[in-house]
Amino acid sequence: MGTKTCHVKVRDANDEELGINFDHIWQKTLTVLNPMKPADGSIMNETDLTGPFLFSVALGASLLLAGKVQFGCVYGMSAIGCLGIHALLNLMSSAGVSYGCVASVLGYCLLPMVILSSCAVFCSLQGTLGTLTVLIFIGWCSLSASKIFISALDMEGQQLLIAYPCALLYGLFALLTVF
Amino acid sequence: MAYHSGYGVHGSKHRARAAPDPSPLFDDTSGGYSSQLGGYPAPGVDVAFNVNHLLGDPVANAAMAYGSSIASHGKDMVNKELHRFVSVNKLKYFFAVDTAYVAKKLGLLVFPYTHQNWEVQYSRDVPLSPRQDLNAPDLYIPTMAFITYVLLAGMALGIQKRFSPEVLGLCASTALVWMVIEVLALLLGLYLATVRSELSTFHLLAYSGYKYVGMILSVLTGLLFGSDGYYVALAWTSSALMYFIVRSLQTAALSPDSMGGPGSRQRVQLYLTLGAAAFQPLIIYWLTFHLVR
Repeated sequence: MGTKTCHVKVRDANDEELGINFDHIWQKTLTVLNPMKPADGSIMNETDLTGPFLFSVALGASLLLAGKVQFGCVYGMSAIGCLGIHALLNLMSSAGVSYGCVASVLGYCLLPMVILSSCAVFCSLQGTLGTLTVLIFIGWCSLSASKIFISALDMEGQQLLIAYPCALLYGLFALLTVF
Repeated sequence: MAYHSGYGVHGSKHRARAAPDPSPLFDDTSGGYSSQLGGYPAPGVDVAFNVNHLLGDPVANAAMAYGSSIASHGKDMVNKELHRFVSVNKLKYFFAVDTAYVAKKLGLLVFPYTHQNWEVQYSRDVPLSPRQDLNAPDLYIPTMAFITYVLLAGMALGIQKRFSPEVLGLCASTALVWMVIEVLALLLGLYLATVRSELSTFHLLAYSGYKYVGMILSVLTGLLFGSDGYYVALAWTSSALMYFIVRSLQTAALSPDSMGGPGSRQRVQLYLTLGAAAFQPLIIYWLTFHLVR
């Protein structure tokens, strides 16, 4: 009897202590995967870096499988890119945004890049068809990221303006994947 | 524990927390922190429970509190330094743009000849934000154009097999240095000509940053259509940019109360504007010709 109570208590304590809400992670992943679906503004209220961390590790792993050992580049570029977009969003929106929120959104929208780099393990992406695929994936990533930012920060008429710097950032990641 | 000495206020809190570390296995987790210092486990309570809490409460909480205090301290420092140099509210005015404004402004930069009214509109002595007034300068386009120019230079060098991170860094820093020189020269000219105008440093930064759009177009045309395309695009964007700068700065530099001023001052302002405009094609050529061979 005493053992059973302890077991249940430890599991609850674990969930609360780690703060991982799997339902939210799944919802955010679905929002990224479907760029046409309008995003819910409140999903970004809690800053959660689990998903982004998983995705960056997956990106590094798939790059490694393709023979490019560039973890330092990935993390350096993502840090500088996050800083830049954080500064830009703070200047462009009326409400401020925290660095954790920016890092979280950008990390979630890295998922299509992970898919692209795992494809690059099997087939080379150079050439016209490859370039077209890369451009489509960059557009997918940046549209999702800008859609989430727009709905979370309540900015109208600026989606393409936010999508452009995100596209530049994801373009850098794509360069790492292709070359 | 040398790192405690730097943070006076938080140091005492952490010293108290850190004290029970040497004997974590004997913590009494039933009563909270007050009983930690001398407590022994109550008989019958599972050790597994204790192990879980030892991983959770004392060490992790202390580390988290310390980490968050460092983060907020660092953030305050950065904010203070930033606010000394840059007024964020004034900067926000230049970034209040929307997609329609950016599209129209880019069209204006490429083809300014049909635009009629160049004056910046005011509402009760406050200039309207770029969202509401096409003639207002903004800093979004120059910033994005500068970053795109650096990336495009990297790509152009990569295509010519001359890419290396040092060359890219050299390109970026050359462009930045020339922009700083131009803004300083304009500021000096405005100061010497004792022009009392609404042009702040950010305005000048914006106007001198618009040339990157022309540079990007020239480099793209050069990459797609070869050397001839580059020179044609260079000529077109240079003349468009010169016209744009002259028309914009003419109305901006003349403040309302200097209309009846001495003719020589107006002539100096005109020379300044013409000089700034004539400088643009030279810089565009200088910063792009080595990318298109």
